[in-house]
Amino acid sequence: MRIKPSKLFLLVPLAFMVIFFYVPLVSILKTGLWENGFTLKYISSVLTNDYHRRVILFTIGQAVASTLLTLALGLPGAYIFARYDFPGKGIIKAILTVPFVMPSVMVALGYILLFGKSGFVTQLIGRDLGIIYSWKGILLAHAFYNFPIVIRMVSSLWQRVNPHYEEAAMALGARGWTLFRRVTLPMISPAIFASAMLTFVFCFLSFSIPLIIGGYRYATIEVDIFTSIMVLLDFKTGSALAIIQIILSMVFMYLYLRALDAYAKREEQRVFRKPRPFTRRDWVSPKGLLVGVYSAIVFLFIVSPLLAVLYDSLHFNNAWSLEWYRRVFSTEYNPMFGATTLDAVRNSLTFGLATIILSVLVALPIAYALHRWNFRGKRLFDVLVMLPLASSAITLGLGYIKVFSGTPLYFTAWIIIAAHTIIAYPFVLRAVSTSLKKIRPNLWEAALSLGAREWKAFLRVELPLAIGGVIVGAIFAFAMSIAELGATYMLAKPEYTTMTVAIYKFLGARQFGSASALAVLLMAVSMVGFLIIERIGEEVW
Amino acid sequence: MVRVELKGVLKGWEDFKLTVDHLEARDGEFLTLLGPSGCGKTTTLRIIAGFEKPERGEILFDGKRVNDLPPYERGIGIVFQDYALFPHMTVFKNIAFGLEMKRLPKAEIERRVRWALELVGLEGLENRYPEQLSGGQQQRVALARALVVEPDVLLLDEPLSNLDAKIRERLRGEIKRIQRELGITTVYVTHDQEEAMAVSDRIAVMNVGRVEQVGKPLELYYRPRTEFVARFLGLSNILELKAENGKACLGGLCFDVGRDGKVRVFFRPESVHVKPGDTAEVIDHELLPGRIRLRLKIEDEVILAERFLDELPFPVEELPARVGVEVRSFSILE
Repeated sequence: MRIKPSKLFLLVPLAFMVIFFYVPLVSILKTGLWENGFTLKYISSVLTNDYHRRVILFTIGQAVASTLLTLALGLPGAYIFARYDFPGKGIIKAILTVPFVMPSVMVALGYILLFGKSGFVTQLIGRDLGIIYSWKGILLAHAFYNFPIVIRMVSSLWQRVNPHYEEAAMALGARGWTLFRRVTLPMISPAIFASAMLTFVFCFLSFSIPLIIGGYRYATIEVDIFTSIMVLLDFKTGSALAIIQIILSMVFMYLYLRALDAYAKREEQRVFRKPRPFTRRDWVSPKGLLVGVYSAIVFLFIVSPLLAVLYDSLHFNNAWSLEWYRRVFSTEYNPMFGATTLDAVRNSLTFGLATIILSVLVALPIAYALHRWNFRGKRLFDVLVMLPLASSAITLGLGYIKVFSGTPLYFTAWIIIAAHTIIAYPFVLRAVSTSLKKIRPNLWEAALSLGAREWKAFLRVELPLAIGGVIVGAIFAFAMSIAELGATYMLAKPEYTTMTVAIYKFLGARQFGSASALAVLLMAVSMVGFLIIERIGEEVW
Repeated sequence: MVRVELKGVLKGWEDFKLTVDHLEARDGEFLTLLGPSGCGKTTTLRIIAGFEKPERGEILFDGKRVNDLPPYERGIGIVFQDYALFPHMTVFKNIAFGLEMKRLPKAEIERRVRWALELVGLEGLENRYPEQLSGGQQQRVALARALVVEPDVLLLDEPLSNLDAKIRERLRGEIKRIQRELGITTVYVTHDQEEAMAVSDRIAVMNVGRVEQVGKPLELYYRPRTEFVARFLGLSNILELKAENGKACLGGLCFDVGRDGKVRVFFRPESVHVKPGDTAEVIDHELLPGRIRLRLKIEDEVILAERFLDELPFPVEELPARVGVEVRSFSILE
């Protein structure tokens, strides 16, 4: 096969992926499955060990439970958003974007401040609900992150269900629950299934939340790998666990992608039902009550952990004060993480910006190839470039330690940026691909007919039209980079401490005030990203 | 201006095959590809443009093979059914796009965009965005954008089918005028036979992936070679008759076919003249604006006749039960 030189630009992102994803992955496989030849010794010793087995079952169990809770919380919202227009809908919709950009360390901190032993809620009702350091907190935090996904995906499809179907069924005598179950539900089920699968994968691979809120008693596979390597220095067990995790998450990811295909097909329907505006009378009906109560729950659920952090950061010795901020920024050198707080802020921003640039540079050529070319093995290619989505940050960190320790790259900032890029770039790719798919193919052909070469037609016509997707992808990359804890913690030497790692260390030392002050700063940075996404308002998932 | 030729072109998918043995658009000619949806006319156009590669055969521009040239090196201008205006560019920028690709100097671009705007009658709208224009205006921008680069060949893919009937008629006249003015070789795709008749120098009628017949509009209309062409272009009378001594007769209605044996005789309803007489029974009639359509029975066959009311030898209210029939022009189908 002759490869045109114009296609060589794809080599750069592919080389990056091979070096920073596939080589580390292979090295993990080798560590876990190879010892003077192929062996299942370490896999089976993990699977027969009571503790690890419990961890694996708990990981799946909490992911299932989190998904169910997420659906229970998200589906009513999807219904409300698809069917009704009410005053304040815009605000609620905007608030729903917040979890996409909020670092999980911060949310975990918020939950501790709300539900911990001396938390606001605990003091308010005078009783410890047992949410922190238990599975309950994990489920709650996972639902916080994922129910906006359910609302977005399901309501977007729900709006596209042609009302004539329901009207025809009603004319034939179906009503209420029967109508929903027999007609509406089958039409929106691809969205429900796809969003549930995505939620499941996120919960299955989640790290910071089980680590901070669950504690060691409620460890997930991800936490287990982390402790195996970082505490026990047992790379064999860590690799075996990572292999088991990758296999499982690949299965779930496959199911997700299948569900997504069905979803995308349905989403092509052009029918778009305008939500019904609320009248004054609607507010006093059961519908109004539903909408009111639901909006209040959403608002409290999302805003309360953020408010708790903000409030805590401004309180010193039971009085309003900026003392925590002063302390955080005046410290010359913090022995706990070996750098000043300002260094951490600078590191976070630097890594975030570098991750934006790199992940866009990696994602754009791949998105172009997937969008524009047809070749044999395209489906496989698609899976291979999306595979980082199925691997976790801790696994990546483990792979990097195995591959790069001893090379000049190790302990540099570059390796952290590379890890962040691998974690973030699938989201950029998705965002860009989604935007590209929405462009009519005629525009491309018109550009070619006017004398534009392929790359010029892409740069001048398609890219400007897909720029919303690129920007949203870039913000996600930034948000993921500054929120990343696991891989950064494993790979960064003290001077590369980020805000997220610093907050985690403050938490470990139970210095909640300092953690809160820094978290507010992190929140402010995330908020900028949130505002940009709101302005562009593109649907990415 | 160039001559466009397709020779032995074959393009196949699982459920559809396009074969064009020979098709030619002559220098400066307005050639229309006409056919029902799914007949392969748009695919043929896209093969000329270079968006589709044929599996076999040659595409020739002035005798030079262009199979391996990408669209941007073929010197074409194309207008799509949905216009495909770049939504993020103004009218000016849209029209200037092709000139910028050629790296023309700014002043030259400015001058030529003005020329194109004037050509399609859109002066003053250059700073609007496509979404701020009506469908007809968008179509003019698309036309200007395709023409401003002075292409050798202009390709139009159902350019009018998204427009209202009135605007459609006006625009097709304008397209024809501009094409004449510039003398540009044009290939036009449509499924509307009236549109095709109105604008074309020649028409190629296509059906299930083949060219059925190529000819001047009236030639195709009155002397189609196949039943498909006959029926696609308008109401038809087709009679299967046996000819003896060079004559084929249905009752008292005879045709000089000049051969013997089975023949299929074709004629248009408006070729059927009625007069007082006894050849055919009048079954029923239908009034159209200014015209009358009669269903006439001769032996076991029913034929249609269409006349202007003022040519009818008797008042409409007093149609006789039987009339005489004369067919002034007919042709023989394959």
